[in-house]
Amino acid sequence: MSSTYQEMIARLERYWADYGCVIMQPYHTELGAGTFNPATFLRCLGPRPWKTAYVEPCIRPTDGRYGENPFRFQHYFQYQVVLKPAPEDVLDLYFGSLEALGIDLQKHDVRLVEDDWEGPTLGAWGLGWEVWCDGMEVTQFTYFQQLGGLELDLIPAEMTYGLERLAMFLQGKKSAFDLEWAPGVTWGEVYKENEREWSTYNFEVAPIDILTKRFEEHETECRDLLARDLPLPAYDQVLKCSHTFNLLDARGAISVTERAAYIARVRNLARKVAEQYVEKLADAPV
Amino acid sequence: MRESWVPLFGGDVYATPRRLVLLSNEAPEREPDEWVQGPPEKLRDKAAEGFARKQGVSVGELEVRDGFLGVTKAGRPLAEALPERLNELVRGLAFSKSMVWDQSGLRFARPVRWLCAKLDETTVEGFRGSTFGHRFTHGEIEIPHAREYFELLRKTDVEVDQDKRREQILGGLRELGLETPNERVLSEVVYLVESPIVQEATFDERFLQLPEQVIVTAMESHQRYFPLGGNRFAFVANGGDPKTVVAGNENVLEGRLEDASFTFERDVEHGIDELAKELKSITFVAGAGSFAQKTERLKALVHDLGGGEASQEAARLAKADQAAELVREFPDLEGHIGAEYARLAGYPEAVCAAIDEQYLPESAGGPLPETEAGRVLSAADKIDNLTVAFALGQKPTGSRDPYGLRRAAIGLCRLALESGLELDVPALVERDRVGLAEQGAEVKDDVADTADFVEERLEGLLDVPVEFVRAARAGGVSELGAVARLAETLAAAASSDEFERAYVAYDRANRLAGKADGASAALDAKLATDEAELALIQSLAGASPKIEAAIQAKDFQAALSAASELGPPVDRFFDEVLVMAEDKQVRANRLRLLLDVRDAVGALGDLSQIPR
Repeated sequence: MSSTYQEMIARLERYWADYGCVIMQPYHTELGAGTFNPATFLRCLGPRPWKTAYVEPCIRPTDGRYGENPFRFQHYFQYQVVLKPAPEDVLDLYFGSLEALGIDLQKHDVRLVEDDWEGPTLGAWGLGWEVWCDGMEVTQFTYFQQLGGLELDLIPAEMTYGLERLAMFLQGKKSAFDLEWAPGVTWGEVYKENEREWSTYNFEVAPIDILTKRFEEHETECRDLLARDLPLPAYDQVLKCSHTFNLLDARGAISVTERAAYIARVRNLARKVAEQYVEKLADAPV
Repeated sequence: MRESWVPLFGGDVYATPRRLVLLSNEAPEREPDEWVQGPPEKLRDKAAEGFARKQGVSVGELEVRDGFLGVTKAGRPLAEALPERLNELVRGLAFSKSMVWDQSGLRFARPVRWLCAKLDETTVEGFRGSTFGHRFTHGEIEIPHAREYFELLRKTDVEVDQDKRREQILGGLRELGLETPNERVLSEVVYLVESPIVQEATFDERFLQLPEQVIVTAMESHQRYFPLGGNRFAFVANGGDPKTVVAGNENVLEGRLEDASFTFERDVEHGIDELAKELKSITFVAGAGSFAQKTERLKALVHDLGGGEASQEAARLAKADQAAELVREFPDLEGHIGAEYARLAGYPEAVCAAIDEQYLPESAGGPLPETEAGRVLSAADKIDNLTVAFALGQKPTGSRDPYGLRRAAIGLCRLALESGLELDVPALVERDRVGLAEQGAEVKDDVADTADFVEERLEGLLDVPVEFVRAARAGGVSELGAVARLAETLAAAASSDEFERAYVAYDRANRLAGKADGASAALDAKLATDEAELALIQSLAGASPKIEAAIQAKDFQAALSAASELGPPVDRFFDEVLVMAEDKQVRANRLRLLLDVRDAVGALGDLSQIPR
């Protein structure tokens, strides 16, 4: 059953491509989760069906631990699958993907643990499950109900595989750094130094003054772009606001009261982008 | 289901993580009859005919109930009613959070993938006659007869009955030597599996260096494991090959413990004093400042509570672990891990124990702090939580009590009653409000509300009728334990002559003067004319200081004896003296005299609360 990290990703790509998903590539700016990728957030809005799957690097500055903690990183990977609308057999499809990874469902204890998901910066929520394999949470399964504060025309199912955890389960490893990325090369060899330096940057070096100003600039630019009726570029500014906020948070530059206000500002932009995107969709020829 | 279905059709409700089940073994043959209410009887002439026509009956068949016309509609046979009734049931269930998943518009907690309904051997119209077994070991299964449902599912690795699953888990844990598992984890696990299999597993002994609380919390809070002591633990699987599943879970736990070790070591490296310094930037409650400010208030309260050096030191460090990474990870560790960090920093055990005990009691009936400093710190923390919530206008309403204030108030009462801690709640709350205001918080509500909220809890805790507690709360003592003893004294004496005399003095004086206008500001003995009036003045002059002194000394029996001396002179006064005299001055003076009598006896409480 043991396979390398890259082989695991390749198998997921194959499985979901065979199902008919559009295989996308990671987005070009920092995202806290695959949900932020426009291929999920924007494509799940409006009436058009959509099936996609892709790897997404997640950048979460506050989660860094200088590469010293086997479980926590400021940069890791998700495999994101979105099926819109959610087919009736979506759970069976998901379990099929585990089988494609070589997991014998009869041999392991695979179960669903109810979980409510909420993404406050995106004005998003949904209901679903955590998927556990022998006690390891390997996937977040969510039926979106709202995105950007909008009700959805078609209910998508989002499956977010935590690739490090999934690989730890598959390879029987207790530390992500010991995962075999490629034959003879570990995850740690590829990313440990990265964790150390970026943790230093996130917690100690990132320039608070510049970032505070930058947040404002991205916010202003987002509004300008919305005024020019350009929701797609405007959405990139939402993402940059979100990442800048995360960096400021890691630097301890945001008090608890300010925190809520910052999140509300990002959510407000996300909502406006979502509204404009849906409006434009309605006008566009199908 | 229990509310909407069972009262009409009987049966029991069962649930697994994947299905909701209703089984009625003795379902009625028909729906219950239904009363259809029509127009009021007095409108019979105008409206009866129309109503009767609409219901398909003749006017003569209409009945009268509670002043209304109506008809009794016979319930349909069950087979005919079930399709509609079951659909209503499915659509009518309310969830705290519900969702949609397709275009049908049906809302439910999670997507409904199949609906199976059998009336004996008949499949209910619009439903299917089959269900699904264990997700990974069995597929769809036919249910030939409703009564076979449980047994057939059992054969496909699904135990539908949650009580049986619970028994299976308990039995498995018992075999591993665990008699009383954590109830919170157990009640959750029962609904995480359809086919419970209890497994035993172990983790690497090197993690035993971690504080036990950390290990236990890592197991319970996210993984829902059951610690078995040492490096052994149990978990409940839903299937799979035991060896594989055990190895996987062991790996996961070791990963989590590794994670916890790193976090623990980082906290220890900081040290508790360093953590305490970080409290400035951590909000306690929005509107009530930071944990650093809470710490200042706790120190002031501990001082007022007469806490010694250990409790002062403990107050300073009490909230330091709010800055600890481990507490952010596992909120349940607050207090416990702070105590551990204080120990590692070499603080005296009395200080560490107090930090550990500050959140006790954890439930209304849970154990109280055992150390003196722990009791003082625990009381201070609760006083501050209550004061802050009330000051911010966030007192509990109905079943909403997000900050656990009822439990905090009960904790305070128990500290006073069972541990003998002196708690003058109004004074402490006032002190804390001053502290809050000085820190710049906006303070709403008044002291009395907060104190009342705490004292009300005495009503449920004391073994005396509530009227006596209510009476005592209005008496001349505000310290919680004293209020309680006063209530007990009154209740114990309730049928004695002494009590009767004191009661009479209070009651007669209060009835006449309590609501009357025009009492003078102070008693003027020179205005007294009648002998009985002079006698009462004299008795009051004798009894009043005695009552006061006895109340001060918290000798409530003595206070009652002194108050009872006023009974006969009050009786005589009412027999011989006309209170509402012509002369305004005399009348005002007599009203004052009665109010003074009432207030003197009233140091024992508002005796009018006690029914006679």
